[in-house]
Amino acid sequence: MLIPPEKLVDGCLETLREEVLPYLEKRSARGQLYAVLDVLQNLRDRIEEKTAPLENEADSARMALEQIAAVLRDGGDAVAADAVAAEVASAAGESSADRAAALGRTLVSAIESLYALPSGMPEAAQRALAAHLGPQAIRDVAPLKPSLLNEISKG
Amino acid sequence: MGERDLAADLARFLEARLGDASRVRVQNLERNTEGFSQETFSFNAEIRRGRFREVRDYVVKREPKAGLLEPYDLEPEFRVLHALSDDPLPSPPTPWFEDDPAVLERPFYVMEKLPGEVPIPAGGPDGTGPFSQGERQSLGPQVARSLAQLHAIDWRKLGLEFLGVPASGRGAAQRELARWESRIERVELPVPPILAEALLWLRHHVPSTDEITLVQGDYRLGNLLVDCQGDRADLLGILDWEMVHLGDPLEDLAWCSSELWRGGTPWAGAMLPPEEFAAVYAAASGRTVDAERMTFYGLLTVVKMIAIMRTGLRAFGEGRTRDLRMAIFDHQLPFLYALLAVVRGWLGNP
Repeated sequence: MLIPPEKLVDGCLETLREEVLPYLEKRSARGQLYAVLDVLQNLRDRIEEKTAPLENEADSARMALEQIAAVLRDGGDAVAADAVAAEVASAAGESSADRAAALGRTLVSAIESLYALPSGMPEAAQRALAAHLGPQAIRDVAPLKPSLLNEISKG
Repeated sequence: MGERDLAADLARFLEARLGDASRVRVQNLERNTEGFSQETFSFNAEIRRGRFREVRDYVVKREPKAGLLEPYDLEPEFRVLHALSDDPLPSPPTPWFEDDPAVLERPFYVMEKLPGEVPIPAGGPDGTGPFSQGERQSLGPQVARSLAQLHAIDWRKLGLEFLGVPASGRGAAQRELARWESRIERVELPVPPILAEALLWLRHHVPSTDEITLVQGDYRLGNLLVDCQGDRADLLGILDWEMVHLGDPLEDLAWCSSELWRGGTPWAGAMLPPEEFAAVYAAASGRTVDAERMTFYGLLTVVKMIAIMRTGLRAFGEGRTRDLRMAIFDHQLPFLYALLAVVRGWLGNP
C-alpha cells in the first residue's frame, strides 16, 4: 500500500466532516456520523500494517533473486549477479517492511539486467519471475474486499 | 465556489457568449459522479430573447485542482470536440472554451448535453453484465463501427495536426509509451517489480505502423451515451476526449476490448466476444487487426490505468486533492497488478 493508513483515515475524517455532514438533516444520522468521526480519529494512531504479508513478500522475492543471480552469472553478467547477491545479503537484517521494499528495488534492477542480456530473457529467469510475480499479485489481492467502484460512480 | 455562485457565473458566461440573449438563468446545476478526472457539471439554461424563451441542456467540464491526468490542459480536447461538432460522429457539439480564471476559477469548456445514459459496466450476479442479450448484440457492432468511423476522420482536413503527428514506423507506439512512462516517473512512488518488468517488455516490443489516425484515447463503455430499450440498445454519444491524440488506431481497439471494461463478462466492453468485436471493427475500417500491435497496446492499456491511478493517489497523498475517490486507488492498484500478471503470463486467469 502506498498511502499510510493514518493518512487514509485523515482523508475519511475530512470528507465526512466537509462533504457528508453538511448534507445530513436528521439529528439521529448526524449523531451517528459524529460517533463515526470519534471512532476514526481515535483509531488512526492505532493502525499498523501487518508484518506477515511483508515477510512472505520478502521471502518470495529473495528466492526469485537467488535464482536470477545464478541466471545472470550463467548469462555472463557476473557484475549484476554479484550486485544482486550483495543486496540480498544486506537486506537480511532489516525489518519486514524495509526488507520487502529493498528486495523489491533489487528485483527491479535484476529484471533490467536480465533484459540487457545479449541472449534475451532466459527461460530459467522467466520461471523464477513467474514463481514470484504471479503468486505475489494474488497475495496482494487476497485480503481486499469486493470493489465498490460502480457504486462510487453511480452515487 | 458553491453551486449557487457557479450557477450565477455560468449564467453570466452564457449571456456573454450567446450575445443575443437578454437573460440566462442556470437551473438544476448538478455535479456528475461518473467522471473521476475532470469536474463535470450538467445544467439547464433558460434563455430569454425578448419575449421568447427556450431551455437548453449543457454540460461543463472544468479542470480539477488536482487529479488523475494532471497536469491538465483542456484546450486540445476542446479544439478536437469543437472541430468535430458538425461531424456525423456522435460527439457532443462543443461551442465554448474559457481559460480566464476570473470566470470559473479554472479553465473549462461547455458542450451540449446529448441524450442517453452512461452505462455502468457492472457485472450482474449471473455474470451477464449490464446489458440484455438483445441490447449487447445490437450495441456491440454499433460501438465497433463508430470506432472505425472515428478513425476515418480526416484529421488533417480538420486542422488537428496541433495534437502532434507521430513519426511513421514505431513513432506512434514509442511516443505513447514514453508519455505514460514519464507519468509513472513523475509520480515518484516506488515502482513494483511487476510494473517495471511490463515497462521493459513494452520497450523491447514497440510495434510499427504507418497508419496514423485520430485516437480517442478513452473509448470504452463508461464513456459512451447509450439508449437501452430492453431488446436493443443504441449508441448516442461518445464522451470524455481528454486523452485524444494522433496515433495507432489499434490503440483504441485494444483499450476498448481490455479486460478492464468487461463488467464481469468475457465480452469486449461487456458486449461482444473480443474476436467478434475486432472482426466488426476490421470489416468497418478495412484495417487488419494486427496481433502484435494488439498485444502491445493491450498491455499498455493496463500500464496506462496504473499510471492514472498512481497519479491520483499521489495527488491525494500530497494533500492536493481531498477527493477520497483518489484514495481508493491504494487498494485498486493490486487488482491491476494482478491483471498485469495475467496479461504478461505470470499467472493464469484467476
